[in-house]
Amino acid sequence: MIIYLKNTFNDVGKVSLFATRFFKEVFKPPYEFKEFVKQCYVIGYKSLPLVAITGFIMGLVLTLQSRPTLAKFGAESWLPGMVALSLIREIAPVITALICAGKVSSGIGAELGSMKVTEQIDAMEVAAINPFKYLVVTRILATTLMIPILVIFADAIGMLGGYIGVNMHSEINLTRYTSQVFESLAFLDIVPATIKTFFFGFFIGMIGCYKGFTAANGTESVGLAANSAVVTASLTIFIIDMLAVQITDLFF
Amino acid sequence: MNKESGFQWKLGMFVIIGLVLFVSTIYFVGKQKNLFGSTFNLKSNFKSVSGLEIGNNVRFAGINIGTVSDIQLKTDSSVVVVFVIKDEVRKFIKTDATASIGSDGLMGDKVLTISPGIASTKIVEDNDLIASKIPIDMEDVMGSVKKSVDNAGIITAQLAQFTYNMNNGNGTLSKLMTDKEMAGSIKKSLLNLETTSNEFASFTNKMNNGDGALSKLVTDKKMGKMVDSTMKNIEETTKGFTEITEAAKHNFLLRGYFKKKEKAEDKKQEELDSKEEAELKKAMKMAEDSAAAVKK
Repeated sequence: MIIYLKNTFNDVGKVSLFATRFFKEVFKPPYEFKEFVKQCYVIGYKSLPLVAITGFIMGLVLTLQSRPTLAKFGAESWLPGMVALSLIREIAPVITALICAGKVSSGIGAELGSMKVTEQIDAMEVAAINPFKYLVVTRILATTLMIPILVIFADAIGMLGGYIGVNMHSEINLTRYTSQVFESLAFLDIVPATIKTFFFGFFIGMIGCYKGFTAANGTESVGLAANSAVVTASLTIFIIDMLAVQITDLFF
Repeated sequence: MNKESGFQWKLGMFVIIGLVLFVSTIYFVGKQKNLFGSTFNLKSNFKSVSGLEIGNNVRFAGINIGTVSDIQLKTDSSVVVVFVIKDEVRKFIKTDATASIGSDGLMGDKVLTISPGIASTKIVEDNDLIASKIPIDMEDVMGSVKKSVDNAGIITAQLAQFTYNMNNGNGTLSKLMTDKEMAGSIKKSLLNLETTSNEFASFTNKMNNGDGALSKLVTDKKMGKMVDSTMKNIEETTKGFTEITEAAKHNFLLRGYFKKKEKAEDKKQEELDSKEEAELKKAMKMAEDSAAAVKK
């Protein structure tokens, strides 16, 4: 028991150190701009089809699922507003973050893990390239900035899915649907949800990097790093989401 | 280098589309809340805002033209509501416009409605105070609904009583509704009435166009004149006759007869008087007797 607690504290301490090291290095030149752009492309653009399909399906399914309940109250006209609110406030950020945890975090974990195992990271240090700056900082920055944009795409495509979902049973034109969506939205719905996604992005990147960077020597540890990166990132996303919603609830 | 620029423009497009979507969302939501574009403020005092909140819509002629931006308590019975309105509708709002609070549907949000005035032609200024109307509370509506429901209950109860009486009662109206004999007799009398009126019609026809004495009497002018002259003649004759009688009274041959007649009349009168007296006495006596009996 004590050993387990000690291990947990040990892990948390290591992650904290890793995070402080990231914040120290991120403002210090030289900046690895080219690598950052490349990581943005890999993380952002390459994840777009996956996120788009998920967002579309979420919007469509949410509309179809909430319809019977609202129809009971004769409030079908509130469907667009309700779908928009639940998509933008909660569903699109969390689902996108989970998808990215699966795709990006595990990718980073496996990539850095294998680099660590094959001693490429050590070789970088020998070549006078700061591996932390080149590998970790660029990736964490890329996820932090790309996840919010992916969430915005998921929101937009989810709304389109909602539009199709509404039109399956009744008719509404796109202008009216859009105006209904915007009528139901306030800044309080958009801003906290957007801020939340930056934290999702940061933790997805950081957990992936930490797991890969601290992988033990040995081939099986690569798989382990990828696996535990996904699990830990997903769990962290839910915990951050809970905290974010509670803080929003507290202040507004 | 070529390959590198290949992914760079894709990334740029991805980021720019994402940012445009975000910014346009912010813009449209802000537009809804009148954060962009020129606006002006109006104020109004209310006794109670009945649940109006900051951000509720302001309507003019049914169109959303702005939002409520501030609600503040001024005294214990007065609330100041400040609302932001688009500048382009300012020319339609005159100084005698009134603000009232209503609700958007039965369960919906509260809305602040501005109703146009009649007399004024002066356009409102920024930060003007406009008059307010007391909002209709849902409770008041429910109260009046309850009253009418109660009344409806009384009316239906009485209607039920009335219908019962109609079906089972013995009054004229219920007989009229239910009794078959009555219907038969009414039908009969109506038939009789019809024949009577037919007869009467033929009678009047005859009266108007016939040659009988009666119809002549009614219609012939000549006959009328003749009757008139006859009547005059009769009158003259009777006058003459009275004169003759008077003359006869003074004639000595006939005086005796007239005197006798006078005497007989006097006698008759006396007899009648004495009879009446006797009857009166009898009645008096009976009254005294009954009074004595009561005393005893």
